[in-house]
Amino acid sequence: MLEFSLKLRLYLSLLLVVGTALVKIENWISLFIYIIVSIFWVVLLRVKVEKLFKILSLQILFLGILVLPQGYERAGFLLLRSLVCLVFLISFLLSIPAHTFGSIIRSLPLPAPLKLNLYFSVHFLEKLKIEIEKMNLSAQLRGLNGTTSWIRYTNASMIGSLYIRTLEKAERVNKAMYLRGFSGEFPPEKILQTKERIILNAILFLVSVITLGSYFFD
Amino acid sequence: MHLPDGFVSVPVALSTGILSGGVLWVSLQKTSSTYGSRHAVVLGLTTAFIFAAQMINFPIFGGTSGHLLGGGLAGALLGNPWSAILCITTVLIIQALLFADGGITALGANILTMGIGSVSMAWILSRTLLAVFGGNKKYLPIASGIGAAISVLGTSLACAIILALSGISEASIIIPSMAGIHLFIGVGEGIITGSILAYLLKVRPDLLPGEENTFRGILFPVIIIFLLAGIVSLFASALPDGLESVAQNLGFKNLRENSSNVVQTPFSRYEINGLGQIGKSMAGLLGALVCFGIAFVIARIVKDKNA
Repeated sequence: MLEFSLKLRLYLSLLLVVGTALVKIENWISLFIYIIVSIFWVVLLRVKVEKLFKILSLQILFLGILVLPQGYERAGFLLLRSLVCLVFLISFLLSIPAHTFGSIIRSLPLPAPLKLNLYFSVHFLEKLKIEIEKMNLSAQLRGLNGTTSWIRYTNASMIGSLYIRTLEKAERVNKAMYLRGFSGEFPPEKILQTKERIILNAILFLVSVITLGSYFFD
Repeated sequence: MHLPDGFVSVPVALSTGILSGGVLWVSLQKTSSTYGSRHAVVLGLTTAFIFAAQMINFPIFGGTSGHLLGGGLAGALLGNPWSAILCITTVLIIQALLFADGGITALGANILTMGIGSVSMAWILSRTLLAVFGGNKKYLPIASGIGAAISVLGTSLACAIILALSGISEASIIIPSMAGIHLFIGVGEGIITGSILAYLLKVRPDLLPGEENTFRGILFPVIIIFLLAGIVSLFASALPDGLESVAQNLGFKNLRENSSNVVQTPFSRYEINGLGQIGKSMAGLLGALVCFGIAFVIARIVKDKNA
């Protein structure tokens, strides 16, 4: 599994998430199959279970509050189905290094302008995060982040100056990219190998059978 | 407010997905003429900025906190709703794919509520207010702040309706609980949006969209308002409203009919006698026209005094 391309792993996790999310409510057999698959998925991707549970525990609280008035059985199903979806996606995200996020974006079946926007946003997120940390630190050093009322001009001016910095950076990057010959298009992307395509189609077939089957067989 | 996977039923996921896809396609067509590939970096970085701004939490009460949704802010900064829709949609896709915040199958619903709904509501409201204020740029922070605040409440209601339609929660439970908490988050959103724009107006006014022609600026909101008043009013519920329902339960509903001091109004019960459904639509249109006229005249008087 691990030697498969990032693109295949992304497509498989998306397929499994969609398949699980669309299982008919209270069809426990289909959900049970997906629970087994999710355990295999975690093992195959060698995800750190402790880290995975830490992320999931935050979601359990929120989702639980939302569905509990539905009664224990229905709420249990909804909660479990949602958590299995999260296990598929979070396991995939935990198994890849952060610098490959750009490649993930490029692999998505989306219109080119949207993909371009996504790519640049992801690429600069880390840089903006560092800017925010710097601004937060400097605000704290100046004693501006106290426990005063939340209607603070500091927050607004911080975000405002972040926008100014962002635009200035964007203008510099834009010029630099055009000087290096960027035409607004990505180079052609790698396509899936035959073996990978067979696996993807096989999983697509299985997911379709399990999910559609949940509507016909109780 | 992000709906997770498994919380949106198949019909709702499909219909919201198709609807969002359609609006997104129009947004891409519209932005290609204004932005194109040359400014992809600028739009990308503005999107990243909105994402980053969402990370800054503000406390509400009782240990809970809220953060920016950014629909109103994106619209005000980019100067057109199509780019703002694209911007918020990108944020939502990143959150769903890279942070598992919001579901893949619920992406259509999330884009429809938090992307398209939030941006459109904030845009229409802020442009209408700005036009009432005479299109002056100095009123942009207050107009956008009010628009952003109300859009958060509207978005939370849309989100609650989607959950109710999906059979996850009963409308009577989910709508008041979502509206209650988002009322406060909306106020926070409005203040932060307005303050950011006030700061930018003071420091770098050139970054904000220019002065608007009053009539051009209000044309689109006016069309929407009249469509709502004229067409959507036809589908209004015939059931009694809150007060009528209470009156019925407590047995004082017939007091009005029995009273001798009732003044007859031209459009009593939002109808024009003898015109049936068309009369209802016309009453809605005329009502909206009168309200708009009064607001416009007041705004002109206030503006002339301040000028």
